Amino acid sequence: MTILHVDNVRKTYGGNSYALDGVSFSVEKGEFVAIIGPSGAGKSTLLRCVNRLIFVTSGEVSVNGIAVTGLSNPSLRRLRRTIGMIFQHYNLVNRLTVLENVLHGRLGYKSTIAGTCGFYTASEKNRAYEILHAVGLHEHIYKRCDQLSGGQKQRVGIARALIQDPTLMLCDEPIASLDPSAAKIVMDTLRDINTRLGITVVANLHQVHVARDYATRIIGVNNGRVIYDGLPKDLTIDIIQKIYGSEAHDLILADGDTHGTH
Amino acid sequence: MHVPTPHTPLPRRPFDRSSFVLSATLAILAVLTIYGFTTFDTNGVDMDMALDMLGDNAKTLFFAPGLSNVTIEGLLKNLGVTVALGFLTTVLGAVIGMVFALASALNLAPVWLSVVVKAFTAVVRAIPTVLWVLIFAVSAGLGSVAAVLGMTFHSAGYLIKAYAESFEEVDAGSIEALKASGADWWQVVGQVFIPSSRAALMSWTFLRFEINFSTAIAMGAAAGAGGIGFDMFMASGFYLNLREMGAFTYAILIFAVLLEYVATKLHTKTMQG
Repeated sequence: MTILHVDNVRKTYGGNSYALDGVSFSVEKGEFVAIIGPSGAGKSTLLRCVNRLIFVTSGEVSVNGIAVTGLSNPSLRRLRRTIGMIFQHYNLVNRLTVLENVLHGRLGYKSTIAGTCGFYTASEKNRAYEILHAVGLHEHIYKRCDQLSGGQKQRVGIARALIQDPTLMLCDEPIASLDPSAAKIVMDTLRDINTRLGITVVANLHQVHVARDYATRIIGVNNGRVIYDGLPKDLTIDIIQKIYGSEAHDLILADGDTHGTH
Repeated sequence: MHVPTPHTPLPRRPFDRSSFVLSATLAILAVLTIYGFTTFDTNGVDMDMALDMLGDNAKTLFFAPGLSNVTIEGLLKNLGVTVALGFLTTVLGAVIGMVFALASALNLAPVWLSVVVKAFTAVVRAIPTVLWVLIFAVSAGLGSVAAVLGMTFHSAGYLIKAYAESFEEVDAGSIEALKASGADWWQVVGQVFIPSSRAALMSWTFLRFEINFSTAIAMGAAAGAGGIGFDMFMASGFYLNLREMGAFTYAILIFAVLLEYVATKLHTKTMQG
């Protein structure tokens, strides 16, 4: 079953240069897709076109068979609540507690008034607690998010996405701001979500070796175009060179090592 | 890396226009001040006697306060009226301010709406509170109604700007995250904007209350809005009673210190939790 279909998507921010220049691919249910490519290749833009945080200039994106470009606001909300998303900088509301941040994942299912005032049902709160248990944060539910470490914040982000009951999980550089051990915990959690819960994962990654270790399929992007689309084991050094251009040398040297991304 | 040898001369600091203008302005002001003081026209005034009387008046005002035309209950009641005027106009201004701040923060409203609201509030703020009260006095008559309307108007203009700026500092990432999970506009306001900027909103509102309290004193006298300001006006202009003036001044001072104390407490508390 096709979960995500991207068809000849272009995106320009005005001017002649394209952030995305005719990108096409399909993702089947249960896949773990890593999108790799140098900074500025259009990875983040591509991910945001899926849930229409960014509007495509031309082309079409469909999620679960629903075309996203033509959706009205209420239908867009209904679609977005089935797509979880986590971010490089976690994007939590730091002044609220861990529990409140996780419950934000339910907003798409709630009425405007209940959501605005933060009224959640007991079953929603219990569900949030269960998920926090699963990601190992049950001891911190009443802590404010600014008291957590980066790895813990990202796990709160994952919990917030999971409580949406998503069919698709978008991850925008989920480990780029984390140290290696926290990064491993986060990536293991994502693999767990993928294999045990059957949630399709599409992740932007900067680290080729992480993509190779975790993904079932790799899409290489450069300059807004898909350069490579295939299995991790078929990703040769030549292809990495093509994807990363001049950056490739550093990456190959650092491959298998802990490669800092910024 | 190139390490400069100890003999390399320090490069000249490049010409900075803004600091030049600043020092030129200060220099001109200093010259004018000295010129002003040395050329005072004190012909009709005996400076020694005048300074003596000033000292006497200050002594009566600050060291011998007392009430004669107003009772202590009357003073407290009128202080209450002034506080109420400041409180009411702050609350009304905060409600209006919140509504229009949502319409003028760039990360919440479309650009055209933001520009319109910001331009309008800039005009409202450019005209002082006292003038707004006098403008409203044309239709409402000089008195408490004009004072409430005028002070509310200026408070709203001030708080719209303050609130909108607090909103604009909210982390764009968390807004994006909640939109991505299907939250609508109001939910994002309630769950990201309000919690993230609560401390700032509280301290801006309280600061405006302090401003409105002192404006309310002036309005009591200038616009006949009543309260302790009107008592002061009577004591100074009508009875020429310096001792009573002193009592009123102390009453206001005590209340102002109290406000300051509460503001500080509130600030540290909201910062923590």
